[in-house]
Parts: sequence; C-alpha cells; structure tokens
Amino acid sequence: MPPPRLNLLFPRGIQKRTAFTSPTPTSFQVFNRKTKFLQRERAALLPSSTQTDYLKDEVSLRLTDRLLDIKRHFPQVLDLGANTCNIARALISHGPDVLSKIGHLTCVDSSGAQLYRDPDSSFQQLKDKMTREIIVDEETLPFEKESFDMVLSSMSLHWINNLPGVLSQINSILKPDSPFIGAMLGGDTLFELRTSLQLAEQERRGGLSPHVSPLADVRDVGGLLGKAGFKLLTVDVEDIVVDYPDTFCLMQDLQGMGEGNAVLGREMGAISRDVLLANEGIYRELHGNEDGSIPATFRVIHMIGWKEGGEQPKPLKRGSGEVNLKDILEQ
Amino acid sequence: MQQKTRPIQRFGQAVSKCTAEASVYGKCIVADYNHVYKDKCVNEFMKLKNCYLVRGPYLL
Repeated sequence: MPPPRLNLLFPRGIQKRTAFTSPTPTSFQVFNRKTKFLQRERAALLPSSTQTDYLKDEVSLRLTDRLLDIKRHFPQVLDLGANTCNIARALISHGPDVLSKIGHLTCVDSSGAQLYRDPDSSFQQLKDKMTREIIVDEETLPFEKESFDMVLSSMSLHWINNLPGVLSQINSILKPDSPFIGAMLGGDTLFELRTSLQLAEQERRGGLSPHVSPLADVRDVGGLLGKAGFKLLTVDVEDIVVDYPDTFCLMQDLQGMGEGNAVLGREMGAISRDVLLANEGIYRELHGNEDGSIPATFRVIHMIGWKEGGEQPKPLKRGSGEVNLKDILEQ
Repeated sequence: MQQKTRPIQRFGQAVSKCTAEASVYGKCIVADYNHVYKDKCVNEFMKLKNCYLVRGPYLL
C-alpha cells in the first residue's frame, strides 16, 4: 500500500486557516475624525478664520509652484482636503502661467463650512473651471477609478488615520502616468509647543497628556508612497517658522486654522490655566527669540508621486548594465 | 452675542504684565529639564501666579 500523500493528511483548507491567514490590515486610529470635523466647522465660522489663512495659503503657493515644472495640461484635477480652497486661491495668484494648465478643478472637503467659507465671487478667474463638493470622509474617496489627471492635497493629510489606505485610493483614482502632488505637516512641527507643554504639565500636574499630534516622518513618507504604488517619487521638507507675540496668540491661531488637538485619548476639556501660565514662562525661556517674540516651526513635507503607466521612464533591470562604472570613474 | 475680547486674550494680557516672574519660573525649569517632577519649581510658580492674580483680578 502506498504511503498516504501529504495533502490528504493536511487538506488545503485546514493549512490555509492555521498557518498563513494574514489578518485583515487594521489601521491604527490616532485621531478622532469627528472632533476634527467639528473643530474645522467651528473654525470656519470664527471671525479670525480669514486672518489665520497665512500658513495654508503659503503652503498652497509653494505646492502649486511645482506645477510650473511639469509641461503638461491637466483636464481634470482634484484638490483633496481643500480647506478653504487655498489651492484655488494659490492658482489664481500664480496667474495665467499655471491657470492655463488646469482644465477643471474639483475641490473636495468633508467640512462644508470650510469649503464654502469664501463666496464664488472670490474665485472669479476660475469661474467655470472649479466645482466644490462636500465628501463624507477624506478617508474614503467617492470617485471612479482613473478619473483624474492630477490629484493635489495641501495641509490635510496629517489628520488622516489610514494614510497608506488613502494614498492607494489616490493612486487608483489617478489616470495612468499622472502625478499626485501633496503637502502635509510632519516631523518636528510645533516641537517648541510640544516640549514646553510637556514640561509645564510635568511640573504642575506630575503627568502628561498628548497636546500635539504624532506626525509622519519624512523617512516614512517615501515608503508609504512606494507601497501605495507611486513611481518616480520626490519627497522634500521645508520648515516654515512663524513668530508670535506669545503662546496664547499661537494657540488662538491654531484654533482659527482648525488645527486644534484631536488626538484620541487626549484629556478632555481645556488645558488648565496653571499649565498655560507655566507653559508661557517655559516656552519663552526655552525657545524664545531675543526680541521677545516666540517662534513656532511648521515642518511641511512635500511629496510628488506618479502613477505607473504610459511611456514613463523606468529603472532598468538589475544586472542589465553593460558598462563597468569602475572603468568610467578611473578615467 | 460675541464678546469683544475672548477670555484667552484677557488671560494673555494679564500674563504679559508678569514677564519677569515668568522668566524666573522658566529659568528654574530649563536649568535641568531632563529631571522635572511635580512642584519642582512651586515657589517660582506661586510668585508668577500671584503676580497674574494681582494684575488680572477681573479674570476670576
């Protein structure tokens, strides 16, 4: 009698269940998206909302600057997480050089108050070329596959819980050989506030609670883009340092931008006055400028990734080189 | 109805009159910020808080 075959003893079904079942990829929940939504809705209604546009406008200007390097026309463009349509405003202030590259701009955001804060009249130059749409959540994009020639995103991705998921969704709604150009806060953003609040809470209350978001590092972003299927990656960092008269102005402006704390597991309620008082002294002593103002660093990560396809240049296969680099270098 | 100045602004104004005390407190913490524990600089802090309470009594 022949020995029993292995796959009879271990039928495939059982093997699958025991050894190699990979769990469904779970994304870490870091931010309370509901809180963030409410903060941004309220922020847009604050009178200080327009006064605190400076940071997002500046980042959007720098982001749209990069369009000048791409010699192409983009019939359908998506602005994901548009805030107050900062990218549309940046495109207008760049003038016809950049505007002529855009066929149609779709600005989407989950917060209607942010999106529709400015009336249509302030986007005259983009009149017929721009639509605004409210989406339910920036983490699930309601668009058809391969429907955009370019996706832009400015100052929005740092509140996304599932960044890898959103990046691969962006990749799938792009047409082949189309770019994604994004900018978000990362790394050491607001490290001054983070450190001084930590010291203040430690001394006043003997413990810590998160006040500044954990943020993606520059090194992670390249890997994330690659995993989402983007090619020809460019990732770079810019520090924007803004000086404020005191820590209260800084925190008020952050609130006006809708960039308040929305970390899950944070302590509910306002920071106590004692901690704010202590924070003011420590911030100024640890980081303050000589002229009495205090600096706040915003580290912006810029990223460009291209969806694979078309006649896009690709790296040659490993080992296919015919010229010895050593010979060239020795010449 | 919206107030003309928000509480945080009045708080900031009151604190801005106590820069000397705030600086003393800050120096006490920053002197050794790797080893901070509860009430490490409590005396300096109470001086700062007293100053702020005197300058901005309408806040409480």
